[in-house]
Amino acid sequence: MSVELRARVLAAAAAEASPTRADLRRRNLVIGLVAAASGLGAFVIFAVLMSEGHLLRLGGEVAPHHYLERPVGLVATSVGGALVVAATAVWLALRRGRSMLGRSRRRLLFGAALIPFSLLAWKVDCSIAFGAAMVAWPERPGERCLALSLFVAAGPLLSFLAIRGSAPAQPALNGAVIGFAAGACAWVAADLWCPVAYVPHVLLGHVLPLVVLAGAGALLGRALLAPRSR
Amino acid sequence: MANPDLDGADAAMERYARGDAAAFADVYDAITPRLLDFLRRATRDASAAEDLMQQTLLHMHRARGSFIPGAPVMPWACAIARRLVTDSARRRRVERRVFSETPADDDRMTYDPTAATTAATAAADDLLHARRLAWRVQQRIDALPELQRNAYRLLRQEGLSLKRAAEVLGTTVSAVKLRAHRASVALRAALREAEEPA
Repeated sequence: MSVELRARVLAAAAAEASPTRADLRRRNLVIGLVAAASGLGAFVIFAVLMSEGHLLRLGGEVAPHHYLERPVGLVATSVGGALVVAATAVWLALRRGRSMLGRSRRRLLFGAALIPFSLLAWKVDCSIAFGAAMVAWPERPGERCLALSLFVAAGPLLSFLAIRGSAPAQPALNGAVIGFAAGACAWVAADLWCPVAYVPHVLLGHVLPLVVLAGAGALLGRALLAPRSR
Repeated sequence: MANPDLDGADAAMERYARGDAAAFADVYDAITPRLLDFLRRATRDASAAEDLMQQTLLHMHRARGSFIPGAPVMPWACAIARRLVTDSARRRRVERRVFSETPADDDRMTYDPTAATTAATAAADDLLHARRLAWRVQQRIDALPELQRNAYRLLRQEGLSLKRAAEVLGTTVSAVKLRAHRASVALRAALREAEEPA
């Protein structure tokens, strides 16, 4: 083995600063806070722009106010369950397990399938238990919820990709799971904001953004997480 | 079977992740022989292999903070190297297309007949035969589908365990077993063909 090559590699490494584990932990904490702030900020901005009063003005008599009010128990149960799923999704997306190559393809695929399914099932179950929220609401097909979810999830998606750093094995699949995780976080915001549990609305406004974000995550993961040669 | 060099590499990488700058030299010394071997086989170009090895180590250097305590280093290094080989090959193909160069298949494995002439003894025929055989096998490995070729290289040439190879390739142990088995069957057939008199 060439001594000259060894010297060259060690010199190149010495010349380029790289974060230690402690540095990275601090950096990831900051990125995590930025992700939370951006998601929260996006939610607040959207909630102001698309407030209930504003929606009522848009919807007029076809959207009576009592439809927009949900029992506190329903909101707490629905959002609480979604929060648990979102936290699990973030854990699945950002933690690699015990290997530097991350989780196996089977686990990632299983997780990716389970996230939207469990969110949808929880939302529908809670709404059925509380009754009125399942009422059909054709005037709200779900495009606002779709926009809210994408708006809220953009910051967390980029932040999660930055925290993950690199994925030499299955970068696109890892990116897709990160997209689902960001989407699950946005689901929590959408669930807080949106009283409608009519299934076609939920599919368009709440589930579709998860799929869109997973697709975006896969593309970004392929571009950003895979090691590139010079 | 435990490899003391690689166990040392895992410990050295852990020290490096915690901030011990001198530990990178130990990581280098422990993994480079196998990594360089892997890259030489994958590229069949010594200078490209060295360049990709440097890039692999620099990737590991940049990602040292994310190293998981207790994780094995070698499958990680192989996965980065494999990804860089693929990316570099893709890049070269694009460059060739852009500059309208002819496909340079001859920069892959080449048989050098002058090497055989140095053995100007009765063993020259054997040497020639062995080289032709090796060349034919190498050609056959190159002709294998990518999935089979990667599984075969990691298991038979790099000596990774089934579990580690499955991690590197992002698939299951049984899929790696199947791919390596198919590759072995194809190579055995090629060897039989080569051994049969024309």
